[in-house]
Amino acid sequence: MTDGQALGLRDKEIAPSASMAPARSYAAQVLRDAASIWGARLGLIWIVMLAFVAVFAPLLANSHPLLLSEHGDISSPMLAYLTPADVTLLVSFCIGLLVMLVPLRARTRLIAIMVTLATVGGLSLVYVTPSPLAVYSDYRIKQQTGAYDWVVRASVPYSPKDYLRDYGDAGLEAPLEAARRTHWMGTEENGADVLSRMIYASRIALGIGLVATGIAMFIGIILGGLMGYFSGRVDMIGMRLVEIFEAVPTLFLLLTLVAFFGRSLYLMMVIIGITGWPGYARYVRAEFLKLRQQEFVQAAIAFGLPLRSILFRHMLPNGVGPILVNASFGVASAILAEAVLSFLGLGLVDDPSWGQMLNQAVQSSTFNWWMALFPGGAIFFTVFAYNLIGEALRDAIDPHLKKDQPET
Amino acid sequence: MHTYILRRLVLMVPTLFGITLIVFAVMAAAPGGISAQSLIQGQNLEPGAKKAMEDYYNRLYGLDQPVPVQYLRWLNNISPAGFTFDANNEINGFSLSKGSDLGTSFYYNRPVLDLVAERLPITLLLNVLSLPIIYVIAITIGVRAATERGKRFDTTSGVVLLGFWSVPTMLTGVLMIAFLASDQYWRWFPTAGINERAALEMPFMPHWSATSDVLMLVSLSIAGAVLMVALSRKGGKAVRAVPFGALGAVLGVLMAGDVARAGVSLVHVLLGAGVGGLFVLIGRADYELPRTAAMGLVGFGVGVGLAAALARGAFVRGFLLDSLWHLVLPVICLSYTSFAFLSKLTRAAVLENLLADYARTARAKGVSESDVLWRHVFRNSLLPLITASATLLPGLLAGSVIVETIFSIEGMGQLAVEAVKLRDRELVLSVTLVSGLLTLIGYLIADLCYAMADPRVSYD
Repeated sequence: MTDGQALGLRDKEIAPSASMAPARSYAAQVLRDAASIWGARLGLIWIVMLAFVAVFAPLLANSHPLLLSEHGDISSPMLAYLTPADVTLLVSFCIGLLVMLVPLRARTRLIAIMVTLATVGGLSLVYVTPSPLAVYSDYRIKQQTGAYDWVVRASVPYSPKDYLRDYGDAGLEAPLEAARRTHWMGTEENGADVLSRMIYASRIALGIGLVATGIAMFIGIILGGLMGYFSGRVDMIGMRLVEIFEAVPTLFLLLTLVAFFGRSLYLMMVIIGITGWPGYARYVRAEFLKLRQQEFVQAAIAFGLPLRSILFRHMLPNGVGPILVNASFGVASAILAEAVLSFLGLGLVDDPSWGQMLNQAVQSSTFNWWMALFPGGAIFFTVFAYNLIGEALRDAIDPHLKKDQPET
Repeated sequence: MHTYILRRLVLMVPTLFGITLIVFAVMAAAPGGISAQSLIQGQNLEPGAKKAMEDYYNRLYGLDQPVPVQYLRWLNNISPAGFTFDANNEINGFSLSKGSDLGTSFYYNRPVLDLVAERLPITLLLNVLSLPIIYVIAITIGVRAATERGKRFDTTSGVVLLGFWSVPTMLTGVLMIAFLASDQYWRWFPTAGINERAALEMPFMPHWSATSDVLMLVSLSIAGAVLMVALSRKGGKAVRAVPFGALGAVLGVLMAGDVARAGVSLVHVLLGAGVGGLFVLIGRADYELPRTAAMGLVGFGVGVGLAAALARGAFVRGFLLDSLWHLVLPVICLSYTSFAFLSKLTRAAVLENLLADYARTARAKGVSESDVLWRHVFRNSLLPLITASATLLPGLLAGSVIVETIFSIEGMGQLAVEAVKLRDRELVLSVTLVSGLLTLIGYLIADLCYAMADPRVSYD
């Protein structure tokens, strides 16, 4: 035990010298290089915007007024009806912003954000209990009859599942064509506001993209790392496993898993994650096969460092380039996978997602362009953004490109 | 060579084994799983009949037995040699010639083999038609991008193709059906299927009642194509762009006439300007090969359109033309996403060879640049493209799931979706098996082509 601790200490002393002269790590350098390409910047802007919309969705689109005064009593129905997911996202975002502003090491930051997410998520699941019954039309009726002194409404005053029952048979409406209301992107067949549904669906797309890719990366890095480090027999068995998973068309495996295991959001994240790992395993393996011959790895082995430390503290940071590239493309394909599943009618049942909205557009008897174009466009822009970032990262890690740059 | 092929075929068996094991495990582990009760639920049966049905299914598939035994039984069923069972489900012997049996679909109540045999050719047809299109377009763009590395064509084509790659197939399919096939806008293409019912009784080739119509069609279409090709090859930038753009504007206005019937409207102006502008862009393009191809195709199309408008006699489409007409939109949907990947690969391969020593030697000998490119460099750049064809296949199979669903084509993709939705065990397993087999055969063919293209590689 003491041996291990002593080695751990020494391990820390070795780490800086192993990563050579530049103070920034390889990963930070690659990220900086990529961010200097305009395509990646545009993509990043779009994704940050989307993340902002996803976090502040209840403030942006909500049938519950943000603030209202009734007979002098000021109350906020919006706050009262926040769901645990809303609270978790909002609180974690604020704490995350704080953590980013305080100068800390990247790893400490990551751990801090993870811990906050977990604790806030757990606490809000227990303590935040919104009243289940929400009659959206009450607010509108009261507002019209003048029961409120003043009301502050969200900029899109409709919840995603507010079917506008109080407006009678409010069915399909083209954008900006409804009589007494403004729907910037029209309404769907049941009368719900399309823009509001789009805003809430962005949460599902971003969440699935990040979590599924995280899971796939986790499995892929561990398996690929072991395969590359040990090579030989472990490698052979591992590669057979990779081949098996790659020979089943991923979409088909996804279909089977989703159809047989039900349709919860979290399950879908896990399923998309566990079908996506072979690609990462392949790249990490190739990278580690190269690295294990190098002197700094041999030195780490000679020091008798534990396997975990050799693999993840010494080898992984030096082979992180291809993983970053793949993660970016992976997020894009995870978002597409969710959209495809929802489109085929195997997605989430009650919550709107972009793919499901596209499916809705197909199911209706006439073609309504706003029902197909907006969600489809959102999928396109998000996938394109991640692909642009991936492309920029690939250019950033490409040694040929760097060498050739002065020529062109 | 034969031993190599044989060895690869034998190595496929454990992989296929693994694939089916994964899918079987997923189905068995699912809540509810698959049991005789789940198969007959929903059917309103007398208790006695219910019991009889359950017993029947249990006997047929061994559903009352533990999961590993069920899997072994399924394996035994599909392998050409194996154990045989008597009426009481006891093993009564081993036969080398019992024949493989993929089972019967629960839902369709038909042998799975029949269903697969019916639908596989359709999916293969879609994929086989898409592959050459993908290759031709990706190679023309990739080669040009490599020769003009870092210039405008390179960067623009990279971003545009990346954009194509990011457009979800569902969106394209939905928009194409809505605008090009539905009653609401242009009805140029059929909305569903790969054949009209009437086409099944038509002769294979198209028929005309009047010979003059045929002559007119041939002469007009050839005249149009030749005219446009000549314009593209001989004319200068402005000479090409102006007449071609004018043609585009006329076509755009005609197109608008199909939708907005009354007078001159905004639709006419927008479409005329839009299509005209697009044609001007094509006409001004520097890259001769695709420009000539595009202009020639437009000329041919205008000729055909004119001939159709002037034709007097009756015309029977025939089975071939009907099928092609149905396949246009699905094939476009299936192919455009792969351009980015393949053209990037072409670009990298050509670039590497352009900088190679042998290319410099060829230039030093005085070989013209186009000969260096097409006779030396391009041939050597083909190898990675051959390898890529294997990785393209699973993607195309997955793509056909979406395309077949959107265009209601009864192929393997649609069968796969139906199978998992209906929890049809035999069908799910067989579809997995067949698609896995196809993917592996694709890999094998790619490896064999590799050996054929590169004499240095030998599998003996």
